[in-house]
Amino acid sequence: MSAFDHALLQSGIKVVVVDDDRLQRAYISAILRKLGYEPHEADNGDTALRLMTDLNVQILICDLDMPGLDGIELTRRIRAKQTGFYIHILMVTGRNQRPERERALEAGVDDFMAKPLDTVSLTARIRSVRRLIEHEEILAERERNLVAAKERIESDLRAAADAQRRMLPDPLVQIGRCRFHSALLASNFLAGDMFGYFELAPGFLGLYAIDVAGHGVHASLMSVALGHMLTAELFRQRALDAQGRPDPAALVRFLNRHFWRSDGEEYFTMFCAVLDQGADTLHFCQAGYPSGFMLGPGGACHPVGRGGYPVALMPDVDFETDRIEFPSDHLLVLVSDGALEAEDAAGRPFDDHGVQAFLTATDRKASEIPVQMRNALLQWRGGAQLEDDLSIVVCERMRAA
Amino acid sequence: MIKVKQGGDGQICVVDPATDRLTAANATTFKDEMWQLIDKGEYRLVVDLTGVSFVDSSAIGALVGVLKRLGNRGEIVVCGLSGSVEKMFRITRMDKVFPTYRDSAAAAAALSERL
Repeated sequence: MSAFDHALLQSGIKVVVVDDDRLQRAYISAILRKLGYEPHEADNGDTALRLMTDLNVQILICDLDMPGLDGIELTRRIRAKQTGFYIHILMVTGRNQRPERERALEAGVDDFMAKPLDTVSLTARIRSVRRLIEHEEILAERERNLVAAKERIESDLRAAADAQRRMLPDPLVQIGRCRFHSALLASNFLAGDMFGYFELAPGFLGLYAIDVAGHGVHASLMSVALGHMLTAELFRQRALDAQGRPDPAALVRFLNRHFWRSDGEEYFTMFCAVLDQGADTLHFCQAGYPSGFMLGPGGACHPVGRGGYPVALMPDVDFETDRIEFPSDHLLVLVSDGALEAEDAAGRPFDDHGVQAFLTATDRKASEIPVQMRNALLQWRGGAQLEDDLSIVVCERMRAA
Repeated sequence: MIKVKQGGDGQICVVDPATDRLTAANATTFKDEMWQLIDKGEYRLVVDLTGVSFVDSSAIGALVGVLKRLGNRGEIVVCGLSGSVEKMFRITRMDKVFPTYRDSAAAAAALSERL
């Protein structure tokens, strides 16, 4: 007995043998047992089918001619079933049953043996099946490993996405007489969007929104680095000049120097602002980020900003600080380009017009804008996932107490 | 992916990205193929965006990557900007970085004047 057959003895693979001829069944079973298999006999097709299912059998040896369910019909029924593994079917036929063999092949039989059956041909065929089963097991093992690896990676990504989301402000934050409402929707697990706001000095707030180019791990790592770096302290140092006057472009210049690399292509767009509440003035630097919207009472809505270079894309470009009036009871709405670029089923982008139409459609409550806009975009997409990360930040100035 | 529509003889080379959308999905391929053109000695490049209806931030990154590779050896210009592509160029000021022309004929004419 070869080492191969010994291995089979260990595993005791089940084989269903179906034949209406008792002697023929016993003969086949005896050979199989000798080869180390575990035969289960059936004298008709229905019993064989039940045994196959109950015992999860991978190999069937069946006679072609049987009363009731014949070999071909039995094969059809087996092939019609959903199993997690392949069932190998060997059929025993008469020497001159060529047309029947053709039909049997079409029904899904894998190989044939001619009557009278001899030990040599059965042994050869069963070994061939065994090789196939072993190969399937290797493939299945490989697939299990891939599935496990994929689950591990996805779980890591979820953990990273959680860590990143924890860096974002809560959906509602109140700082002094300003309320910030926000929502983030990542296109896949990880977003390249980051935003934040904080008090810089009494009456002065710093706020920013960032969108790192690209998506996924790569974009997320940079956005987390920026999230850690952009603190109230850095704003105080870099976004206020020596006299304490707001100059957010100075902060953006600093970031451009800090992140630009001659050999890299990572960059981000940013809306960087300082709000002087006493003077009702927003000082802002728009660095490639989409224009914001200033929403007044009664539905007046104006775009904020005329564009500007992105950050860390080019070394020697200048950034400017612009100023606009931002009275109390007005809202500033910042939306990342995931919203503007979101296309409907016909390929039309939601665009600035979509955002503006949304903002002015009804008298929106600031607190409801982020969630309502996210829903409007999902509806625009017709249920399809967004292709880019989306963040919505609403800065609401409250009336003086 | 890119198609050289005109030139390719070291003079003026008009390139069609041959895609409707230049995005994260194909921007790297676009950049690599443009780099190959530069490495073959094509230093006067026109990127014809007539057939492109959408570019994202990765596409902008790729175009700037081409500009970096080219350095001061030559010039790269764009033409055929429309709709959201034109808006993207305006908002990110790329219209100040890349000279823009109405169509490839105007772009090629402008480049040959500077030859």
